[in-house]
Amino acid sequence: MTNKFELSIISAESKVFEGKVENILVPGMVGDFLVLSNHAPCISSIRPGFLEFSEGTSDKQRYFVSGGIIEIINNVVSVLVDSAVAGDKIAKEDITNLISEVNDRLSAEDTINKDDLGLRKNDLEEALKQA
Amino acid sequence: MPSLKDLKIRIDSVKSTRKITKAMQMVAAAKLRKAQEAAERGRPYAEKMRDIVSNLASSVKNIAGDNKFLGDGSDCKKFLLIVATAERGLCGGFNSSIVKLAKSRIAELTSQNKEVKILTIGKKGREQLNREFEKLFIGHVDLSNEKNITIDTARKISMDIISRFEDGEYEVAEIFYNKFASVISQIPSSYKLLPVSLIEKEPDASNVSFNFEPDEDEILNEIIPKSIATSIFSVLQENAASEQGSRMAAMDNATRNAGEMIDKLTIDFNRSRQAAITNELIEIISGAEAL
Repeated sequence: MTNKFELSIISAESKVFEGKVENILVPGMVGDFLVLSNHAPCISSIRPGFLEFSEGTSDKQRYFVSGGIIEIINNVVSVLVDSAVAGDKIAKEDITNLISEVNDRLSAEDTINKDDLGLRKNDLEEALKQA
Repeated sequence: MPSLKDLKIRIDSVKSTRKITKAMQMVAAAKLRKAQEAAERGRPYAEKMRDIVSNLASSVKNIAGDNKFLGDGSDCKKFLLIVATAERGLCGGFNSSIVKLAKSRIAELTSQNKEVKILTIGKKGREQLNREFEKLFIGHVDLSNEKNITIDTARKISMDIISRFEDGEYEVAEIFYNKFASVISQIPSSYKLLPVSLIEKEPDASNVSFNFEPDEDEILNEIIPKSIATSIFSVLQENAASEQGSRMAAMDNATRNAGEMIDKLTIDFNRSRQAAITNELIEIISGAEAL
């Protein structure tokens, strides 16, 4: 019997998920990490990718998130995402669209944000492979 | 004294005006509910965002001076006023109350020899401010094609605002909008978007030390643009709800006034008709007596 903790995934327009889960696999900015209960307090940014968690009884649930912030405090995990789509609903085209959006911005913008956008593009392409 | 026919035409025209205002009121009521629901749905995100920023605040005191987005905005010279109004009129004092507040702030800042720039969101605010302050305008955001406000719109606005901030076009950004207090009361308000002042938490609040990944500064650089987009989003949502509330109240008033006018005109109409009948009778009787 593993301990469970609160998880809420919130996007700017609605609450995507709320409930008790056993573990979450988070695509962190510097690398994926797994959160179990009693995790130390932590704030981290998230890169575009798949967020996986399991509620214990059922299989893993997967959400595609396009970047955001995660806050872990006292067994309450809040994930603020720009947008989140359930893994089974997301089509490859959606991610391809995001990639082309980034490409457009890459060609349009000045050099300032190029590194960030390039990273974002890599993340998205990685996610496309997993989809 | 207008003729019977004129009165009849006027009554009909006021009646159709009343029909229109009544319809507009009902449409506004339906839209108000939708706008309120949308604002409700966005609230958890905004609240959590504020939480995280204030948690960050208690942990980053030592580096606060270094981040470009942080500061208290004192002794700054260049101000940007973002005036968020509606795209449409016919909503009572909604637009002009925001513009009035913004104008008084402009006057206050200019008297202190500050440099003021204006960015408007929504057509009505631009029209009203353009007459007096055309030279101060640096931009306008058109929302006429947005049926519902999405976070993407807010993000685009915030990206524009942030890139102007980074270019040094201004040092302090303030946003003007109507706060949604209740269906019948909207309060014109303003608050400072940039720079972000970190309010330290109460000392008794759970003092947890967070691990940051990557580090505080990078997270700040990531989260502050997001929190600005969120603020703009909630401002726009609140504005949308206020607009519909204000329009509903204005149209309710107009419908009632039209009703009163119809009553008055109907009385006039009946009196004139009675007078005409009496006149005819007098003519007939006096004609018969003359025989």
